[in-house]
Amino acid sequence: MKMKKFINDPANLTAEVLEGLALAHQDLVELGPDNKVINKKLASADRVTIVTQGGAGHEPALSGFVGEGMIDISVVGDIFAAPGPEACVDAIKLAEKGKGVLYVVLNHAGDMITGKLTMRTLENEPGVKCIKVVTQEDVSNAPRSNSDDRRGLVGCVPLYKIAGAAAAEGKSLEEVAALAQRFADNMATLAVAVRTATHPQTGMPFGDLGDDDMEIGMGQHGEGGGGRQPMKSADETADIMVQGLLNDLDIQDGEKIMLILNGSGATTLMELLVIYRRCVQYLAGKNIEIVANFVGEMLTVQEQAGFQLFVARMDDELLHYWKAPCNTPYYKQV
Amino acid sequence: MLLDRKGFGLLLLSVADTWEENVPTYNEIDSTFGDGDHGITIGKIAKTFRQAVEAWTDQPFKPFLKSLSSAVMGVGGGSAGPLYGMLVEGLSDPLDAETEEIDAGLLKAMFVGSRAAMQSVTKAQVGEKTMMDALLPAVAAAEDCEGDIPEILAVAAAAATAGAQATTEMVSHFGRARVYGERTLGTPDAGAMSTAAFFQGLSLGAPHTT
Repeated sequence: MKMKKFINDPANLTAEVLEGLALAHQDLVELGPDNKVINKKLASADRVTIVTQGGAGHEPALSGFVGEGMIDISVVGDIFAAPGPEACVDAIKLAEKGKGVLYVVLNHAGDMITGKLTMRTLENEPGVKCIKVVTQEDVSNAPRSNSDDRRGLVGCVPLYKIAGAAAAEGKSLEEVAALAQRFADNMATLAVAVRTATHPQTGMPFGDLGDDDMEIGMGQHGEGGGGRQPMKSADETADIMVQGLLNDLDIQDGEKIMLILNGSGATTLMELLVIYRRCVQYLAGKNIEIVANFVGEMLTVQEQAGFQLFVARMDDELLHYWKAPCNTPYYKQV
Repeated sequence: MLLDRKGFGLLLLSVADTWEENVPTYNEIDSTFGDGDHGITIGKIAKTFRQAVEAWTDQPFKPFLKSLSSAVMGVGGGSAGPLYGMLVEGLSDPLDAETEEIDAGLLKAMFVGSRAAMQSVTKAQVGEKTMMDALLPAVAAAEDCEGDIPEILAVAAAAATAGAQATTEMVSHFGRARVYGERTLGTPDAGAMSTAAFFQGLSLGAPHTT
């Protein structure tokens, strides 16, 4: 099917997206050189700061969560493409306010190489204290014991929120990093797709699911996880996916969780709400309490139809930071 | 034979030409098991090579290659940008700060430097359907070659090309295509193809008289 998108010259797409974001949220973010989206209040920050990196094309993620109480600088590459290490080193140096920088990297091939090279360069920057935390919570393509093969999906967004709140409350870099790592170690995501997206710069689709199939474990960019099967109802799909996440995290009767239902771009809020309702019923039947939630779009993949279901094991401390105030273009908590 | 700035610049421009000719092919291969943008990235890297060579007036080789490496890493090209950046940075590793000319021995050492740089960021081996399927045989062939620069480049190009073609019959074990397993049989690896084109371009750009 021919791509139909409102874009201009594909080569300028990322720059135009970021320009639009900055214009739409002038009170919260500004642009820096080499595709950096910067928290407008960074200059006066006297605390641990949060830097992340990643491709564009997933709006509102990642740059839509730059602002107070979440990300301080997001370094953007191109559409679905990681930035280079030089821009990330610059961003971390810019974000260092004397209290250290938490550097969040999603586990995707390009991001991981950039993350590794960035940390290597920072070894020669004595004035910069930086700890890297990797998000790798896609349960579909590797067991928990082999988490290096797990991709980073929507879980980075609540992690920014929790780490950002701890930083805002004056926690040390070691404390913020330990908290972020604890959250990362207790989260899991499954993605399902029923129709794949097209790459906005080439018009090429990411594979083809045909008229009758869905794929559980679709990853972020249609990487595929081997769970292709005939399309099922909302309730059947929700049951399979919730149980898959509970199994992975070994969540027991009486535990408290965060549940995020993140639309991939073309699945309607109508469908998400129907699925969410079923997730709540299913969890209630197992005496598992949802203490934090989000239903909507945090991290999309163009016009991919499907969603990412995210579960994290919660405790009072994590919940406190999740509920703390933040003000970013696409997530606000008062 | 010695390669000066002009001679080495011609090699890099020839790489850019070879890459640019193949942009649609890389996008198409990558859309089968990737996100379909390897050609876009390679096009951006080719442009970076071209701009760097055009602006190269009096810098010695080492700082020139180091700044080219940074530019390549910064193109915003998924994993290919940083990987090609490492490949270029590795070329500079055996050079002295003031190296102005390259002979056959130094060229071989530069390729070995590229291999070491790449191996510092990826564990991929031959047979895993990645860029390394072209790079590792190319560097090995160059090391074993007793000839002068054009012969070294010719054997490296031939080995890289054969290595890239062999990826067609491999099951992906690395990178994002890995999850497709057996389904990757029959399609070559886009990164191996662009790495082969790097060595083909170098060889095509080499002077043919000694």
